[in-house]
Amino acid sequence: MTSLFRLVGVGGVIAYRALFNWTTPSMFVGTLLVGPLFQLLFFAYLGRQLGVADDTFYIVGNAVLAASSAGVFGGTMAVSNERRFGTLGHVLLSPRSRTAVFLGRALPYAGNGLLIAACTLAGGALLLGLRIPPQALPGLLLVLGAAALSCGFFGLTLGAIGLRFRDVWLVSNVSVTLLLLLTGVNVPATELPAGLRAVGAVLPVTHAAEAARRLVAGDGLAAAAGPLAVEVLLALGYALLAAGLLKVFEAESRRRASLDTL
Amino acid sequence: MIALGALLHVKYQSRSSLEITIAVLLPVVQATLAVYLFRAGGQPDRLLEAAVGAGLMGIWSSVLFGSGGAIQNQRWQGTLEMLILAPRSPALVILPITLATALTGTYAMVATLLWGRLLYGIPLDFADPFAFAVAVPGCVLALGMFGLLLAATFVLLPNANALANPLDYPIWLVSGMLVPVTALPGWTTPIAAVLPTTWGARAVREAATGAGPVWPSLGICLAISLGCLALGAAVMSRVERRARAAATLALA
Repeated sequence: MTSLFRLVGVGGVIAYRALFNWTTPSMFVGTLLVGPLFQLLFFAYLGRQLGVADDTFYIVGNAVLAASSAGVFGGTMAVSNERRFGTLGHVLLSPRSRTAVFLGRALPYAGNGLLIAACTLAGGALLLGLRIPPQALPGLLLVLGAAALSCGFFGLTLGAIGLRFRDVWLVSNVSVTLLLLLTGVNVPATELPAGLRAVGAVLPVTHAAEAARRLVAGDGLAAAAGPLAVEVLLALGYALLAAGLLKVFEAESRRRASLDTL
Repeated sequence: MIALGALLHVKYQSRSSLEITIAVLLPVVQATLAVYLFRAGGQPDRLLEAAVGAGLMGIWSSVLFGSGGAIQNQRWQGTLEMLILAPRSPALVILPITLATALTGTYAMVATLLWGRLLYGIPLDFADPFAFAVAVPGCVLALGMFGLLLAATFVLLPNANALANPLDYPIWLVSGMLVPVTALPGWTTPIAAVLPTTWGARAVREAATGAGPVWPSLGICLAISLGCLALGAAVMSRVERRARAAATLALA
């Protein structure tokens, strides 16, 4: 069991350091910290001008959503960059569980997402003057962590698809943009058609954003527990889906000898 | 030469199904988001403005990432030396590339207008169709010229991508592509006033909605962009001289 945790934990961290090759401090700050903050401000001012919702709605929603780009793109990179750098074959030749190897890779990205979401929430609150009840902070940390985890495993699911399809970046780019629309972060869910709401309900971030809004409204952890539990379940669901897809597509690419040819 | 070069690069950039799909799909999602937001805000009469705004956002994204990375892309492809060896000023060689990124950005405008018309039944009743037909290419031309300044300055910066990645939302915001400039804090007004994107977006919006006179806005947009073109050409010549002297042209 210890060696499994070591494989998941230490393996994930090493892979994160190796694959996150573009993370110079300026790139990290510019892309992952400043970018989400500008996104938050854009939607807060748009929402204000249109009278759709107040600043709190946008600050909290976009802070939760901020975890998505690190998680989704990170999860995708965790698999597809192995092919890009020509190391996918070596990973799949490993005698250890590839499921554990890849699931471990999503964890550092989820940690990253949590950091980004927390920074975005703090930045948005400072810039737009949101007061968060101190007693809501532990719950918010839990919610942001759950959102980051579900985004990481959602990204890993997309990365698994990259074992079979070439243009996985198209899928992840479109997915991240769709999260803007479907998760109720920027458009209140009640304003979306039922079909879009249903899709949003099975995407990461949707339930975490709802839980975070309840916490910031001072409703307490009990009120946020329902959506938080759904977000955690979604994270588990995406982890299982990613593991399943990785197994199926690995077997398929071995059978067809198409591992590095797609 | 500029026209032929731009055409060549438009064809080249249009060969990538990934880039074209992203250039079309992402603005369509943004347009959908804008449509639902405008509806939620009880302003269904402004849906055309939402579709046009989302299209402009797509054009800016294309210019930002395409022009910002124009020189780096040529470097990665191994064609930068040949371009710089051409017996023309480097600005004249790179300008067609930045113009092409703005031209391919018009896919976004076409996509958001068609999407709005077909899916949401937004009537394409432009207040001044002729002015709209002139303002959009004018704005594209202006952003292409602005792109040269981006290309020239980004190549000077060691981590240009770090600057480019977060720059789409602030320019969308400050230029009033969806949010009117008047809704922003007062300190953003001088920044907005010197950006060609502000005047270009204003000209296109005025042509679409009849909110004001199109030609002064378009004129200011083109004038600022010509200034950017001159500045970009000067920076580009300096970059070229420095890279030749230090033998670093092909080095990242």
